[in-house]
Amino acid sequence: MVRPRGKSHMLDYMRSNRREVIAGVVLIVLLATYIGTHPRGASTYVMTIWANQCLILGLAACAQFFAVVVRGIDLSVGAVMALTNCIGSYLLDGSAFGMAFGMVAVVAAGALCGLLNGLIIVFGRIQPIVVTLATASIFIGLALLLRPTPGGAVNYDLADGATLDVLGIPTALIITGLVVFAFWLPFRRTGLGLGLYALGSSEQAAFQSGIDTRFIRLAAFTLAGLFGGLAGLFYSFVTTTGDAGIAAGFTLNSIAAVVLGGVLLRGGVGTLVGALAGAFILKTIASLMFFSGIPSLAQPLFEGLILAIAIAIGGADVLRARNKLEVFA
Amino acid sequence: MKKFLLSSALAVASAGMAFADTYRPECFAPAPDTSTISYDAKEGPYKLAFVNGFAGNDWRIQAIQSAKAWAARPENVDKIDEFTVVSVGNDSAAQIAAIDNFIAAGFDAVTFIAVNPTAFEPVIRRAERAGTILVPFDNVLDTDKVVQVNESQLALGTLKAQTVMDILGGEAEKILMVNGLPGNATDRDRRLGMMSVLENVDGLEIVEVVGNWDTGTSQKVVADALAAHGEFDAVVSQHGSAGSINAMQAAGHPIVPMGVDGENGVRMLMSELGIPGVSASQAPAMSAIALEAAVALLEGNELPQTIFLPIPQVTSDALEAGANYFPDLPKSFNTGTGYAECFAPFTPEELLGQSPDNT
Repeated sequence: MVRPRGKSHMLDYMRSNRREVIAGVVLIVLLATYIGTHPRGASTYVMTIWANQCLILGLAACAQFFAVVVRGIDLSVGAVMALTNCIGSYLLDGSAFGMAFGMVAVVAAGALCGLLNGLIIVFGRIQPIVVTLATASIFIGLALLLRPTPGGAVNYDLADGATLDVLGIPTALIITGLVVFAFWLPFRRTGLGLGLYALGSSEQAAFQSGIDTRFIRLAAFTLAGLFGGLAGLFYSFVTTTGDAGIAAGFTLNSIAAVVLGGVLLRGGVGTLVGALAGAFILKTIASLMFFSGIPSLAQPLFEGLILAIAIAIGGADVLRARNKLEVFA
Repeated sequence: MKKFLLSSALAVASAGMAFADTYRPECFAPAPDTSTISYDAKEGPYKLAFVNGFAGNDWRIQAIQSAKAWAARPENVDKIDEFTVVSVGNDSAAQIAAIDNFIAAGFDAVTFIAVNPTAFEPVIRRAERAGTILVPFDNVLDTDKVVQVNESQLALGTLKAQTVMDILGGEAEKILMVNGLPGNATDRDRRLGMMSVLENVDGLEIVEVVGNWDTGTSQKVVADALAAHGEFDAVVSQHGSAGSINAMQAAGHPIVPMGVDGENGVRMLMSELGIPGVSASQAPAMSAIALEAAVALLEGNELPQTIFLPIPQVTSDALEAGANYFPDLPKSFNTGTGYAECFAPFTPEELLGQSPDNT
C-alpha cells in the first residue's frame, strides 16, 4: 500500500485507525485524571499498581480479541484464567528451572484449552458461544478440583520481578510493549494475521480465495486460549496464590474491553492494540474511584456510560456511509 | 534481610509473651497461643482507609456504616485526618491494588476484609516497608505478621450449643444442627465448636442439615428435617435462623431451646414466641473495632496478633425492645451494633444516618 507523505500521512493514519485513536485519547484523558487526583502523583509505585491492574484485563481482552475478530466470541476467557491461575499456584515455586517450566506449562495449558474450544467449534460445527459456555464450566470445574479453596504459593522473587518495575518503568508496561511490538505488529502481516481478518469479514469470500478457514479458526481460538493462559499467569504473579473463583468478572469485562477498543463483535474489524486500550480504559476508570470521590457502587454505571458513548462514536460510521447498504454489508 | 526481619519479629513476639499485658485486653482479647505486635508510635491525626471487597449484602453494608459511624464519633474525629471507604468487588487483584494505592498515598493504616485470605503476603511486605499498618478483620489472613481482628468462630459455636444444653439440664435425645456454607473455614470452626459440646452428651442423636447461612435455604432444609425426624429437643443454627424458626412454626413444632444468630428479625421472633436460648453472631460493628485497633497501634500500643473479640450475645430472658433488638427496624438489620467491652455500641440512628457509599 502506498501512503501519501507528510501531514496527510498522519491524517490518513488517524482516519484509517479512527477507533484506536479515539480509544487512545480517552485513555490518556482518564489516566491524566487518575494521576491528577492521586495524592502521590505520577510515581513509579502508582504507575506500577495501575499497570498491573490494566495488564491482567489487557491480556484477557487480547484473548477475547482473537475470538471476536473471526466473528466468534469466547465465554471461557475467565475460566481459562481461573484454571491456569490454579495450575500456576502449584508450579510457580521451587527451583529456577522448575519455575521456568511452570510458566511454560501454565501458558501451554491455556493454549490447550483454546485448542479444545477450536476443535469443537470447527469439527463439531457448533456456535462458539455455545461451545465456550460449556467448556467454561468444565475449566472452572477443573480449577475447583485443583483449588477447592484459595491457596498455594508463587515465588515472591519471580512475582516481584513480573509485577514491579525495571529502572522505573513498570514491568507490566514493558510486557504490554512486547505484546504490541514483538508480537502483534509482525504477526499482523503474516498469512495467519491477514487470514483472521479475511475470515472475520466474510467466511465465504475467504474460503473461495483458497484460505484454509478451518485452520485459521483453530489458530484463532488457540491464540485466545494462549492469551487467557498469559492473563492467568500474570494474575498469579499479582496475587501470588491460586483462586478458582475469579472467572465471572473477567469474561464479561474482556468483552466490554474489546468493544470499547473498537473491535466489532461482527468480526473482521479492530486490532489487538485497540483491545488493549479498551482494557486499560476500563481499569483506569476502576482506579479513578480511589481518590476522585466517585462512589464504587456507582462505578458500573460509569463503566456502562463510557461503554455506551464509545459504541455510539463507533456507530457514527452509519452517518458517514455513502450507501446505507454498506452499513449492513 | 529476610533473616533480620524474622529475628526482629521473634524479638517482638517474645517481648509480648514476657509482659503478657496488651492494650485493653477486655476488648482486644488475645486468641489462644497468639503472639503480640507493636509499632513505633506515630503523631496523629491519621489517614485511615477501609478497603471492603464485596458490598452486596446487609452485613457488609452495615459494616461500612459502622466504620463511618466510628469515624463520626466526637472522640475519634480529632484523631482522623482523612477517612476513606472503598468497595472493590470480589477480585483479590483489585483489592491488592486498592491497598497499594493507599500505601502509595501515604495512609497510616488500612483495614480490610480479605477477598482471598492467601493473597496478601507481598502487599504486607510493601506496607511494612512504607510504614502503613494493615488490620484485616472478619475474613482473616493466613499470616502472623499483622494484627487481625475477629471473633472466635469455635467459641461462637460452643456458646450456642452450651447454652441450649444448660437449659435442657445437660440431657437431650435428639438435636438439630443447621450448618453454614460447606467447605469454608468459618463453617468448619462453628460446627466444631457445637460438636465439642454435643459429642459429650450421652445418647444424643445429632441431625445435621446444610442451611448455607441463608434464611430461605434454612427454612427448606429444616422443614425437610422435621418431616423426616419428627420432634427435636433443641435446635442450633449458625445463621439464617429466622428460616429455622419459621419452618418449626409451620410444622407445629413445640417451642424448644435454640441457639440462633443475631439478626433483628430472629430476636423479634424469639421474643414474640418466647423461645428460650441465646442469640449471638459475628457483629458487623467489627469494622469499627478494626479501626480502633489500627489507631491503638498507631499510638504505639501493643496488641495481640490475633484478637478474638468478646462475642456480643443476649439470652432470651434479657431481650429488651429498643436496647438489643428493634421492632421498628427491618428484620435484616443486624443487632451486632457494637462491642460493649470496647466502646458504647452504636445506636441504630448513628448507623442508619451513614450512607453505604464510598467516601
